[in-house]
Amino acid sequence: MATASGSTRSATTFDITLTINGETREIAVAPWTTLLDLLRERLDLTGTKKGCDHGQCGACTVLVNGTRVNSCLVLAVMKDGADVTTVEGLAGIAHHAGTNTLHPIQEAFIERDAFQCGYCTPGQLCSSVGMMNEGHAHSREEIREAMSGNICRCGAYTNIVDAIQDVMQEAGR
Amino acid sequence: MNRFDYVRAGTVAEAIQAFQADPKARFIAGGTNLVDLMKYDVERPERLIDITRLPLTAIDEHEGGLRIGALATNAAAAYDPRVRERYPVLANAILAGASAQLRNAASTAATSTSARGATISTTRPRPATSASPAPAAPRSAASTASMRSSGRASTASRRTPPTCASRSRRWRPPCR
Repeated sequence: MATASGSTRSATTFDITLTINGETREIAVAPWTTLLDLLRERLDLTGTKKGCDHGQCGACTVLVNGTRVNSCLVLAVMKDGADVTTVEGLAGIAHHAGTNTLHPIQEAFIERDAFQCGYCTPGQLCSSVGMMNEGHAHSREEIREAMSGNICRCGAYTNIVDAIQDVMQEAGR
Repeated sequence: MNRFDYVRAGTVAEAIQAFQADPKARFIAGGTNLVDLMKYDVERPERLIDITRLPLTAIDEHEGGLRIGALATNAAAAYDPRVRERYPVLANAILAGASAQLRNAASTAATSTSARGATISTTRPRPATSASPAPAAPRSAASTASMRSSGRASTASRRTPPTCASRSRRWRPPCR
């Protein structure tokens, strides 16, 4: 059973391995550190945002092993060995060597003006990708329901759904 | 959030042993309820036993019904084709709660046994108030001054039934 490491570090840290946006890292983390705080405070991946910090707004949405979750409620230590994708890594998913392409969902968000202040946007992008991975939402109503865990104070919802539909149509879903 | 010890159970036996060694420890699976409450300092466990690596996620046929593993996520249960076909009310009930992100993490056992349950629920969609204007407020004989001093303007908008979430937000202890 895994317990605190016996190294000379403080007895309350655990050594975990996370692959974040394709890069594998070994990190010593206290058990109370959320994945959100780890990404933002320790790893300087500030794309993911802290909105409510209680799993209600979705601004902290990232992909863990391809599944969208609220990183503010994930204890990083529990995800030892996981694959994490943040908004910073979305372009890498669709990246072609030598070009500066964005993920199709990012291009669609730009094309469809699907953000104003941009604060909810990283969460919306990761959530959209996660939603499309899940494959359950097809109609406009289903997309809206499936994206209801991501709130937008600026009200860009209509354009967000347009952008998602564009990507789904392009991909033939 | 309080400082706490953390252990990860590799087997069911280890999980039980860890709990017996420290009955005040709490099991943690998805954490969507527990971590939330720990952030509010409502729950302050001194030790968490991580059970997410236990082999309890399967959804199996069982004596003509289905046995849903304690660690099957809400999403896994709701989208299982057998659950959708044979227990559509269960699937719909799960999908009516929380959000996709939370359902991807929350375990079936924790969701169904949590005393506090989900604090987010959905309501059925209703037309925007501008789309269906309510009749004009009846004019009363009271003067504007008296209405202002009563502290409450009468509203003409249709009242929507309170959701569980709004009920828990509005309740206050009775004044004595």
